[in-house]
Amino acid sequence: MSGPIVKIEGLTKRFGAVAAVDRVDLEIARGELFALLGGSGCGKTTLLRLLAGFETPDAGRLLIDGQDMTGVPPHFRPVNMMFQSYALFPHMNVAENVGYGLRREGMAKAEAATRVADVLEQVRLAEYAQRRPAQLSGGQRQRVALARALVKRPKILLLDEPLAALDRKLREGTRFELVRLQAELGITFVMVTHDQEEAMSMATRLAVMDAGRIVQVGTPYDIYERPASRFVADFIGVANILKIEGGWLALRPEKIALSVERPGLPNVAAGKIVDIAYEGDRSLYRIATDGAVMIVSTTPNLSHRRGDSVWLGWAADAGHPLDA
Amino acid sequence: MRYVIALPFLWLGIFFLLPFALVLAIALGTNAPDSVPPVDLGIGLKSFTLLFTDDLYLAAWLTSLRIAATSTLVALLLGYPMAYAIARAAPRRRPLLLMLVVLPFWTSFLIRVYAWMGLLDENGLLNQFLRWSGIAANPGTILGTEWAVQLGIVYAYLPFMVLPLYAVLEKLDVSLLEAAADLGARPIAAFLTITLPLSLPGVVAGCLLVFIPAVGEFVIPDLLGGTETLMIGKVLWDEFFTNADWPLASAVAICLLVLLAAPIALFQRQQARGPEPARERRR
Amino acid sequence: MRLLALASLLALVAPVQAWAQGSVNVYNWSDYIAEDQLKVFEKDTGTKVNYTTYDSNEILDAKLRTGKSGYDIVVPTASPFFVRQLAASLYLPLDKAKLKNWNNLDPEIMAALAKYDPGNAHGIPWMWGTTGIGYNVAEISKRLPDAPVDSLRMIFDPAVVSKFKDCGVMMLDSATDVLPAALKYLGLDPDSKKTEDLAKATDVVKAVRPFIRKFHSSEYINALAGGNICLAFGFSGDVFQARDRAAKAKDKRDIAYAIPKEGSLLWIDVAAIPKDAPNPANALRFLDFLLEPKVAAASSELTGYANGNRAAFALLPKDISGNPLIYPPADVRNRFYTITAGTPEQTRERTRLWTTVKTGR
Repeated sequence: MSGPIVKIEGLTKRFGAVAAVDRVDLEIARGELFALLGGSGCGKTTLLRLLAGFETPDAGRLLIDGQDMTGVPPHFRPVNMMFQSYALFPHMNVAENVGYGLRREGMAKAEAATRVADVLEQVRLAEYAQRRPAQLSGGQRQRVALARALVKRPKILLLDEPLAALDRKLREGTRFELVRLQAELGITFVMVTHDQEEAMSMATRLAVMDAGRIVQVGTPYDIYERPASRFVADFIGVANILKIEGGWLALRPEKIALSVERPGLPNVAAGKIVDIAYEGDRSLYRIATDGAVMIVSTTPNLSHRRGDSVWLGWAADAGHPLDA
Repeated sequence: MRYVIALPFLWLGIFFLLPFALVLAIALGTNAPDSVPPVDLGIGLKSFTLLFTDDLYLAAWLTSLRIAATSTLVALLLGYPMAYAIARAAPRRRPLLLMLVVLPFWTSFLIRVYAWMGLLDENGLLNQFLRWSGIAANPGTILGTEWAVQLGIVYAYLPFMVLPLYAVLEKLDVSLLEAAADLGARPIAAFLTITLPLSLPGVVAGCLLVFIPAVGEFVIPDLLGGTETLMIGKVLWDEFFTNADWPLASAVAICLLVLLAAPIALFQRQQARGPEPARERRR
Repeated sequence: MRLLALASLLALVAPVQAWAQGSVNVYNWSDYIAEDQLKVFEKDTGTKVNYTTYDSNEILDAKLRTGKSGYDIVVPTASPFFVRQLAASLYLPLDKAKLKNWNNLDPEIMAALAKYDPGNAHGIPWMWGTTGIGYNVAEISKRLPDAPVDSLRMIFDPAVVSKFKDCGVMMLDSATDVLPAALKYLGLDPDSKKTEDLAKATDVVKAVRPFIRKFHSSEYINALAGGNICLAFGFSGDVFQARDRAAKAKDKRDIAYAIPKEGSLLWIDVAAIPKDAPNPANALRFLDFLLEPKVAAASSELTGYANGNRAAFALLPKDISGNPLIYPPADVRNRFYTITAGTPEQTRERTRLWTTVKTGR
């Protein structure tokens, strides 16, 4: 099979007067780990729920593996979802939870049991098969939810904020685990997140959403280096946005050199240090220049003091021009 | 704080245990129609043995159980969809819908049962409608049959079924049903495997709230029922009022309570242990 | 015993408390006295009347048996209630010297009442009536033009009763009213307590059981008036009530009452003073007031029942005193019968038989 696994054309979903998803076009390729990124209320979750079939679009088309999903209820779609709350069935133990989808397919008991055992092995929960969700830790529950969705071998796995409910430490490790699992299984993952760090570090490609629209689609590198708009530049990482002739220039803090002497670079500006934040591996400076306060990130240099007069300089190709 | 905790026990003591002890004391006494009150206290089982010499009591008890059980089942079948619909209605409409369920309580119970007499009578509104509409020229009369009793009980106790069911269904996480659908469960399967088992505590509570008073119901069978519908409440009434035999009436009441309470207590204990499976052994 | 009193308190919601001195607590059937007369009594004697009502002999019976009912005057039906309460010594003997109106009472009714209360020592007859046949004139004549409306055959002969099954038949739910009538129908002693006699009477009722819609002691009033049934065996006063209501209804129904020619159970409601009455002196005064002809006459006018006060007869309007269904002529009165209470065992046997009749069990 070839062609995109997901093809979305002019998809729109309104809640009352508000268009939660507004004329969205999108293609997702097979085997991608695709992230939908945006702030709360941007429509990313609604888009995911449209994929799962929990919402019915008001306009547009949604194709999964070339098949139009219009009017196809969730239980007939070749996708499975891992819910943000995990939505584990509290009255069933782990094995029953994971085997639930297989039993609905009418799979023979023995075969289902093998499949469940295999997937529990994969997520390192084999010993917990007989426990109820209430008897598990947060991380274990997350893995049950993952196993329950994966055991169905869906064409697409949908993940709604998969790491949001975990504590910080666990989140880092789980990130890598999800990426590893995705690479092993070769299943397309579509993940919703509000955390740009998560999206950047995990996704092969991502879509940034704002007010129901997709504002940019690309690899994390593309989006960071070549943001399509001031919104994206500002939303992803930190950017100094400078007004230039015919538009704006996005200038990342680490692309700016900081020195006491005037540097020999094509672009220079003089300024005064307003604030210094030492972060160990780097320091962040807020520099008041003629036009604006600029943020600069460099390896720490302890000789700089607040109030010092300094020079900023950057290469000709350091900034990315923006139209809007 | 300690006193607040004692309140439920005080309540139970004053309004259940003490009356129960008094009724038991009367049941163990002997009938003394010529004294006031008409009981000679003592310890005797005559009243209880009398209950077993005549199959009337057993028959009345079984009839009551049967009528209460079918009424409870019907109330469940009606009440469940109602509770479900209310729990799934828009949050701002739920208070109104709940209000509509409870609204009949604002009218006296007796008046509502009388109103059913007016509906179900030979020339009642129901038959008038059937004749007027031409559906049936000679409809039978429902009033005075066991059907009317069942109808009355279902009507009167339906709110007691709906409210606990609503309480559990309202708390039911919708994402569980989405998860079930996502995993391939059709709506029916999702209902049977997720909604129903998770609402079981509400089902049990609602059924008990309908079943228990229905077994001892007196007013509804008296007004809506026929003469042949022999329920334990009527037997108790006859013993107390017609025969003025307080010990025997008390014995009937005690047996009614014990035979109802024992299975329920057992069930409750089962429930308390039930939902958690045997803990897995730790290695 | 004190525990027991508390139990009774819990069983029968809050009996009336004794009121302050200078009052009398009257517990009577609803709509059973001309209430303006109560004001007259209060004005004449300065005694306040606390008047409450009931509509079931059984409730009154249970309250009296509980003790400390707080009532000074109650009005039970003579049989089986008053007589069985007498056996439990629930009433004060009357101090007849203080009842100056005693001689107004009707000797015939007094004699009937004396069967239960020898020498009329404990109670005075208030209202009395018969037990008979209430019917819807049009519906009956449509189905059986020559129906024996004034005979017990009307309710006990299957060939007759079956004709009215479709329009509805009701009967009192009372072993002490129906079984004596069945015995009378068989030509046996209506007061018989013999097991074999009662078995025969039971068979009579069982034979007509399939044609009877319901046994109930009060529903037939509304059912007759509303046209839901066409035939009832019940109390005279209740049938009169049904008749009056039916006459007032939009689609007028003609309800009639007949006293069975075989004989009718005479019921008498008795005014008496409970033994533990808080104001016995006032109670006596109130009884004497009830014995005044104008009080009894006014109350008969209200209720449409005959009273036990011979002196009141002359004061009654013609449509009551001249109505043979209220004040029947001597030949009908001669066939009145009464029954005695019997032992508790007999009561139980009768109740049990009655349950069998009703439910087949």
